[in-house]
Amino acid sequence: MCARCDSGVTASEAQTAADAIRRCWDGRPKATLVLGTGLHRLASLIQSEAVISYAGVPHFPRPTAPGHSGQLVCGRFGGKSVVVLDGRCHGYEGYPPAVLMLPILAVRELGAELLILSNASGGLNPNLASGDIVVVSDHINLMFWKSQPRCPADQRGGLGTAAVCDRRPSAPAYDPSLIDQALEIARLAHFAAYRGVYVGVTGPNYETRAEYRFLRQIGADVVGMSTVPEAVAAARCGLRTLALSIVTNVARPDCPEVVRAEDVVRAAERTEPRVGEIMAQVVAHPWPARR
Amino acid sequence: MLELYDKIQAAVTAIRSRWTTEPHAGIILGTGLGGLTQKIAVEAAFDYESIPHFPRSTTATHRGRLVCGRLQGLPVMAMEGRFHMYEGYSLKEISLPVRVMRALGARLLVVSNACGGMNPSFSCGDIMVIEDHINLMGDNPLIGVNDDRLGPRFPDMSEPYEQKLVARALEVARRENIAAHKGVFVAVPGPNLETRAEYRFLRGIGADAVGMSTVPEVIVAVHCGLRVVGFSIVTDMCLPDALEPANVEKIIAVANEAEPKLCALVLGVLAGESAS
Repeated sequence: MCARCDSGVTASEAQTAADAIRRCWDGRPKATLVLGTGLHRLASLIQSEAVISYAGVPHFPRPTAPGHSGQLVCGRFGGKSVVVLDGRCHGYEGYPPAVLMLPILAVRELGAELLILSNASGGLNPNLASGDIVVVSDHINLMFWKSQPRCPADQRGGLGTAAVCDRRPSAPAYDPSLIDQALEIARLAHFAAYRGVYVGVTGPNYETRAEYRFLRQIGADVVGMSTVPEAVAAARCGLRTLALSIVTNVARPDCPEVVRAEDVVRAAERTEPRVGEIMAQVVAHPWPARR
Repeated sequence: MLELYDKIQAAVTAIRSRWTTEPHAGIILGTGLGGLTQKIAVEAAFDYESIPHFPRSTTATHRGRLVCGRLQGLPVMAMEGRFHMYEGYSLKEISLPVRVMRALGARLLVVSNACGGMNPSFSCGDIMVIEDHINLMGDNPLIGVNDDRLGPRFPDMSEPYEQKLVARALEVARRENIAAHKGVFVAVPGPNLETRAEYRFLRGIGADAVGMSTVPEVIVAVHCGLRVVGFSIVTDMCLPDALEPANVEKIIAVANEAEPKLCALVLGVLAGESAS
């Protein structure tokens, strides 16, 4: 089901996608928000100026889940121009990493300087509780990119796997000043948010008990099936990144519980206002200097 | 994954044309363990080539035959010979037979394999009843657009191997005086055997045994709603501080020698099935 391998993904494709967005909306975004599982309602907080279906943007991947068409919501939020990526694509849907990175590279082309990612995750750190927010301080990539279908762009020097992964970004993937700011917003608003390490796995099945123990042991606090490709793309193109992870359930491998997708979505929806609060304030405030 | 449905139907039709019984269990026999099929009262047998969309086994020790009939009074279908990622097959191809078993009516999947023992309490020739697994194959058979007719998008994995069946297998082992353990199986793509550093790593992350199969089939079994019981035969001990070069002939000899134990456990588990 690799939707893109025939053509590959190149920087000029990010440019083409950006041009298509510009034709529908003449704003220049300062920030981009990526809405994860259960957080789609946050799109309604945007004073929308244009809504563009992913289907209308060349080279954009399309979510395969029924009912999730995928759209860009462009407008004002926190007093600034933003683009919201509402509807995310995942590696488990069959998309190679370069394709998952393309929307991030496209919004960078439009001029965005800040990226806020969000996702729903399983807690591995036993100190976490359902509904907590983890501000991602670092990640572990266990998405095994090399085994996914590779794009011909690899050989052409485009944005293939090797070109992106082998380059060591000059700044940390997750902006330390923004992490501090997000944690402060949460403290002042009296809700729980912690710094933590996100491990990205391919999925789509949830983890076995043995896998939960393994992932905890190698240093991860939460596990999920997204975010890493986008964060890597952002680091490569110089976007400052903040990633907010909603802990929807906490894995207790010694007294296992069945994980149901609908419970995950509900838990994320419950925490959505808090994620919205952090997003709104981070976008609205003057951004702290880069450390 | 949307192309799978038609492939499954085609394979089901081919098998049904010669065997109309609804199987209770599907059985996958691993390296050197094909002999269990001799215990089956055979009603029909199919070369893999004769079943549409079945891959062909390229391994020397795997025969490539689907045997249908009765074992312990229960209708079963047993795969003599399985497919591996290191042969170049996709995980979707490897696990297609499991979906075919399910589509034919099976409720239980019995998997077996030859594994390297990393838990120092194990001995060569012992059996490990698989309690849980770690997927380090770097791939997953469920990647792609999900076909909701076959199973859910995000299958739960809190109990891929039914705990009741693990307990039953261990009980049979005690009764039959078979040395058996309970443990975590980690699957890697292979085909090379592990380095000493890799054995330390795999042991460190919580695995008791390592092999190059089984996990894709089990993930698909959970996805399509089959109960699962799994057996690993410890065919060589992989202790990084006293590691001997692997000898494939010896591994197969140990598997053949341990085969009666596996047979006894499978028969015992199936006996419990017909009783319940």
